[in-house]
Order: sequence, then C-alpha cells, then structure tokens
Amino acid sequence: MKEYGNKILIIGIGNCGRADDGLGWAFIDKIKNSLPENFDCEYKYQLQVEDAELISHYNVVYFVDAHKEQFDTGFILSEGYPIATHSFSTHELDPRTVLYLAKSIYNKLPKSYILGISGVSFQLKTGLSDKAKENLSNALDFFNEKTLNLVI
Amino acid sequence: MSQKLVIDPVTRVEGHGKVTVHLDDKNKVKDAFFHVVEFRGFERFIQGHPYWEAPVLVQRLCGICPVSHHLAAAKAIDQIVGIDPLDLSLPAQKIRKLLHFGQVFQSHALHFFYLASPDLLFGYDADPLKRNVVGVAMEYPSLAKKGILMRKFGQEIIKLVAGKRIHGISTTPGGVHKKITVKERSYFLDGKDLPSIDTMIDWSVEIIDFIKEYHQKNKTFLDTFATYPSGHLGLVKKENGFLELYDGNLRATDAEGNITLDDVPDVDYNRHFYEGVEKWSYLKFPYLKHIGREKGWNRVGPLARINICDGIETPLAEQERKAFKAATKGKINNMTMYTHWARLIEILYCAEMMKNLLEDDDILSNDLVRKGKRRDEGIGIIEAPRGTLIHHYEVDDKDRITRCNLIVSTTHNNEAMNQAVRWVAQNEISGKPKVTEAMMNQIEVAIRAYDPCLSCATHAMGQMPLELTIFDQYGNILDERIRQ
Repeated sequence: MKEYGNKILIIGIGNCGRADDGLGWAFIDKIKNSLPENFDCEYKYQLQVEDAELISHYNVVYFVDAHKEQFDTGFILSEGYPIATHSFSTHELDPRTVLYLAKSIYNKLPKSYILGISGVSFQLKTGLSDKAKENLSNALDFFNEKTLNLVI
Repeated sequence: MSQKLVIDPVTRVEGHGKVTVHLDDKNKVKDAFFHVVEFRGFERFIQGHPYWEAPVLVQRLCGICPVSHHLAAAKAIDQIVGIDPLDLSLPAQKIRKLLHFGQVFQSHALHFFYLASPDLLFGYDADPLKRNVVGVAMEYPSLAKKGILMRKFGQEIIKLVAGKRIHGISTTPGGVHKKITVKERSYFLDGKDLPSIDTMIDWSVEIIDFIKEYHQKNKTFLDTFATYPSGHLGLVKKENGFLELYDGNLRATDAEGNITLDDVPDVDYNRHFYEGVEKWSYLKFPYLKHIGREKGWNRVGPLARINICDGIETPLAEQERKAFKAATKGKINNMTMYTHWARLIEILYCAEMMKNLLEDDDILSNDLVRKGKRRDEGIGIIEAPRGTLIHHYEVDDKDRITRCNLIVSTTHNNEAMNQAVRWVAQNEISGKPKVTEAMMNQIEVAIRAYDPCLSCATHAMGQMPLELTIFDQYGNILDERIRQ
C-alpha cells in the first residue's frame, strides 16, 4: 500500500451549494496553492467510514467545517480526540468517530484539529455570506500565522 | 379503543421516514403505513434546462447513487441525440459499464458493511450503542477493513471514469468524455497502491461464505421475518434473460414465478406502468397496469433481480446464484431478509465484471462518441443498486426539457416496504400498546433490507430519522418515540 510519509491532511467538509456550508471548501480553495509539499487537501460533502483509512496515512489532520455557532473570532479551533459515538448515517459522521475508527481498525491516531468557521446562512445558494467571508478571512489569517508554523 | 403507533424517523436509511401503526380497541393491529414525508420536486425544476444538462443536474438527487442517475439520464439523452444503447461505440459502452459496476459495488459494500452487518452480527435486539458500524469495527476489525477497502475500490473506479467519487461527470450525449489509460487501469490490477481486483473477487466470495453460514445458523429467522408474496421486477439481458444492470428488457414475475411482464423493451415502460398516489406519503406507488394497484406492485433490487434472471454471465456469481436458488428449491424467493444474500451475489458479479472490463483493451480506445438524428424524447432505464431506475425526458425544438418523469428504485419498493412494516406490525406489535426499542429495531430491519433511499425517491434532501406513533381509534396518540 502507498505510504504517505510525514504528511499533513486538510479535509474541507461542506457543500458549496448551501451558502455558508461551503466554508470548509472555501478554506481549501484559498489555501491549497500556498501550502508546502507535505500537505494534501480533500474536499468532502460529509465524512465517511472509509475516511478512517485515509487519515491513517497522515501524521496530522485538520477537519475544516462550517459552524452554526457564532464566535467572537469568527472561528473555533479545537484538538480532535477519538470518541465512539454510536450514531452513523451516510449523511453525517463526527470527525471524532473517524479518529476512533482509525485508531481501532488501523491502530493509527494522527494528531488532529477541528476548525469550525461560523456561518450564518445555510440556504440553497451558491456563495458565502459577507459575514462568513469575514470569518473565513480571520480563520485563514490565524491558520497561516499561528497554526501552520506549528506543523511545518 | 383503537390506537395508532408511529415510528419517526427510520435510522440507517437514506432520507426521512415515518411509520404509523393503527390499533383497534383490543390493541390488535388494524393497519400500518410507511410514510415518506420529504418533498423536493426535481422533476419540476429541471424543466426549461437544456437537455444536455440533465445527466449533470439529476445526479444531485443523491450523494449515494449519483452515478446511477447520471447514467440513466445519459441513456435517455443519448436517444435525444439519436443514439440507442447499442449505437454507442463499444469503448463508450464498456467505460460506462465499468463506471456502473464500480457504483453498484461500492453502494452494496456500503449497505452491507456499514448499514446491515451490525444487525446480522449483533442481532436486531442488541444494544444500539453496539449495533452500529463502530461496534463492527471494534469486534470485527478485519471485516471492517475489508468493507472499507471494497467500498474504496468501487469509489476509485468511479473517480477513474468520472473524475471524482461523488457527482463526477463521465458521459456526454452519445458517448463518454475520456478513455482509460494503461497506467490508470494498472492501479486496479497490480495491487501495489490498492488491493487488486482479484482481491476484491476473493473478498466478495468470502463475504458470501459468511452470509451462507449465517443462513445455516439463522434459517428460521431469515425464512420468516417480513416474508410476504410480491411481484419482482428488473432488467434482464435481451439475448438470454441473464442478470443485466445497464441495458436490457424489463421482466416481471408474480409471487409464484409466473411471468407478468415478458421481456418488454425498456423504452415501452410507459405502456405497462401506472403510478398510484396516496395522501399520506410523497412517495408514489408504481404498479403494472394490466394487474392493477392492489396486486400489480413489484419489489425491485437484488432479491428481485436474482429471482427473475435465468443466469449470470460470470462463473463465480453464477455458482452462487445456483446455491441461492437451491435454498428455495428453485422457486421464487419472497423472503425479505434474503435480499442481503442476493446483494452479496451482485457484489461478486460486479467484481468479476470489473475485472473483465479492466482487462479489455477497448477501454483504452479513443472511439468515444457517436452522433445521430435528433429526437424529442428519451427514456433511460438501468438497474441501480437499489433496483430499476427510470429516467424519461421530453424536449422542445429549442432543446429545453419540457417534461421529466423519474421512477426511482425506492419508489418501486414503496408498497413492498409498506408490506414489510405491516408484517412487523401484525407479528411483533399487535396487542402491545407501548412502543419499545425492539419494535423500533424490527421495523428498521425490515425496511433496511430494501436499502431505501428516500431522498432519491421523493427527489428530496434530508436527514434520516425514524418516528413511531401509536394512535387509538379516534386518532389520539397513545405513544410515540422519535429516534434521531
């Protein structure tokens, strides 16, 4: 099987056809061309069980998704940890469950972070709201200035 | 006093379902219904769009089977540009079939390993905290790994042909966009970066062995749970009546195996089917016109397909079909839980077919697109993972879609799922006024065998919850439980 080496993965989760739900993808759109070579990016509508296999090949994984809560900074970054949540649907899977599956099936647990960026509109619409764009910009600044330096 | 029981929503299915059970004054079940309460209206808002957009737009019906909608629409749009299925170039036919087999393979793997196996491995009365894919991963990590990699293999095939795993684009009117390269196909054959197609075949055989062993140990349950007579509908090969998933004739039988639709051309579907409507569901009820609404409904999907076909062209799957048929001494199988076994035979068939196609040099050819004489109507029918899928479009002289009719697999299975709910209500709920976890589980197990995609069927988007409510004879709610 292919080995990815000392690699970092950013997973953007969302749907650009649902307004601010596209924040995870927009984050990757903005950042992917400026990332070092050891980074990979993935666009996903939602996480799936097989993503456990994907993340098992990486040392660090960022899950980036829209968040319905409003934060002063416009985003929230938290460390990911594995949890055996019992609910599963093909439309929804918690990043922490994916970490749990990676640990239990593949015996691999990458360092992980969950970046939630506040959105305000999740209607059927292409394009982010002005507030979401502002929050995205804040999240990107933080990621570039603080977070990125820690993991390169 | 009569009562009504409602289960809302149904979990581990695609979409939002609700079950109501009506009891009489002795707490005996009078009737039960499976309601689908989402609405989206894809057939309407596609009107006015240019016909060539249809294969791209309609696949947005679903994140699980977009390839099926893409291909059914493509077959219909081919006809609008004057190309019947056999007019396509051989490379285009084979590349589309490769995509289709990859889709069915990954969808069946998802259903079996992620959704159905927890019920089989732990029992439907097991604690829900354990009876899920995480529980499977914990107790059967080897099985979970195989399930994940089988689904990944199918998704990688989709990515190869359509560019990405979900909502990719492969077809163009009259053909396909791109050929396959030698380097691309070697990824699936050499086993270096992904378990090879030969491994997929081996694992498919292994999982069929598992279900056969399960059958031996649990025969009474499989033979009786949600068993009821029904018609069976699907496509078969035009030349020999064998299993066909991409392009064939429509065949149906009744519950005893008598032919009710005798290998008619798929484009004639409209002459044979009506769609009934009930006020309590957005999901329609298709049935054969000449038999009528009450008895003319059919199951579709793996069980129906294995029931109606005369054989399977690949050797290992054919061997397994014979073993499956032997379990009923060659008779038609009306036992809902055997759908899981039939689904696994199809997994093996898809794996064998993908190997044949990957090793076929036609997929390396540049002969990809054909042109014909423009028509105003196109009908595309394929066998999607969940069953017969019908796309029908009419266009005006400005190339705009003026009419669209979609009959998806789960719609065909609507009456069958209602029958399943009624079976559970009559056999497991009757006489019990309170909603219990076991009742919820049994209703879900019965519905889940059909792998329903309610989002597709109502052309709707949504969550997938189960709601169960008991009503008395006056319509008062006696008990209700909602599972998110």
